[in-house]
Amino acid sequence: MPFDADSELTDEALLALYASGNRAAARTLTMRLTPRVLSVAARMLGDRSEAEDVAQEAMLRLWKIAPEWRTGEAQVSTWLYRVASNLCTDRLRRRRGVGLDDAFGDGVAPADEQPPAEERMQTAVRATALQEALAELPDRQRQAVVLRHLEGLSNPEIAAVMEIGVEAVESLTARGKRALSALLKGRRAELGLSDDG
Amino acid sequence: MTAEFEKQNELELEALFDALRDEPEEPSSDLLARVLADAYEAQDARAAKAMPEPVSSGPQPARRGRIRGLLDMIGGWPAVAGLVTATVAGVWIGYNPPAALDDLTLSVMESSYSYDASLGSMLPVYSELLAEG
Repeated sequence: MPFDADSELTDEALLALYASGNRAAARTLTMRLTPRVLSVAARMLGDRSEAEDVAQEAMLRLWKIAPEWRTGEAQVSTWLYRVASNLCTDRLRRRRGVGLDDAFGDGVAPADEQPPAEERMQTAVRATALQEALAELPDRQRQAVVLRHLEGLSNPEIAAVMEIGVEAVESLTARGKRALSALLKGRRAELGLSDDG
Repeated sequence: MTAEFEKQNELELEALFDALRDEPEEPSSDLLARVLADAYEAQDARAAKAMPEPVSSGPQPARRGRIRGLLDMIGGWPAVAGLVTATVAGVWIGYNPPAALDDLTLSVMESSYSYDASLGSMLPVYSELLAEG
């Protein structure tokens, strides 16, 4: 059955096809879901290499569970975000065993060390600063903020991913954002934000 | 004042989120290849597991009806084929005998094997037998 990455088939339908041995479904799911998993892992871990490992591992778990997938019970993307988030949390906990300086010392810097073009300079500086500040948040706050404000999930979707109530999600994102503001307060001028606050 | 401050904070954070969203983490072709290889491997592993067991060479638990029993008794389908051939040959020879058989019959009976009226005259007539008592 020929269909591409822009196929209108749902993730769930593609997963059923994949489970029946369809190679094209495997390709479409890979192209569709890997970027999302990688994105959330990279935001949570601040390390490209580790994020790739997490993305691969999360996708592998999806491939393995495909035959047992129960239709209509959960969204594939929600399940995948949960698996990726949990894998990230595990890695963050292990990092703390190593020490925060070792874990975040260089890992937060973007992999691309080339100086950005002039017009992208500020964007890059802001992105880096926010990534650094995210790394300072408690795991659950970071997870909620990343899913809400970077991945664009709704609060009920995040509640399903994190297996908590919607109110708890709202509380986590609010506290996370307050903490981010506090962490970035001293860098307003550097980031091109108002410096009189 | 506090609400205004919160609003300002919100806008600034949104600008930072925008900046980070503008720096997407695109998967490398290497990562995509690894993920796809895993996908295929998992599919292949399942397919191998799902393959039916090879058919054993032992006797099949097939239905053994009366016809099957009769076949076994006379030696199976080859024997049936032999019987059919012999039957067809017999019918054909009866219908259209080969010349060699005529010679054989003549040598034995010194006559045609076919019905001959003169042969019938050699037999005693039933009425004559009755007359003789």
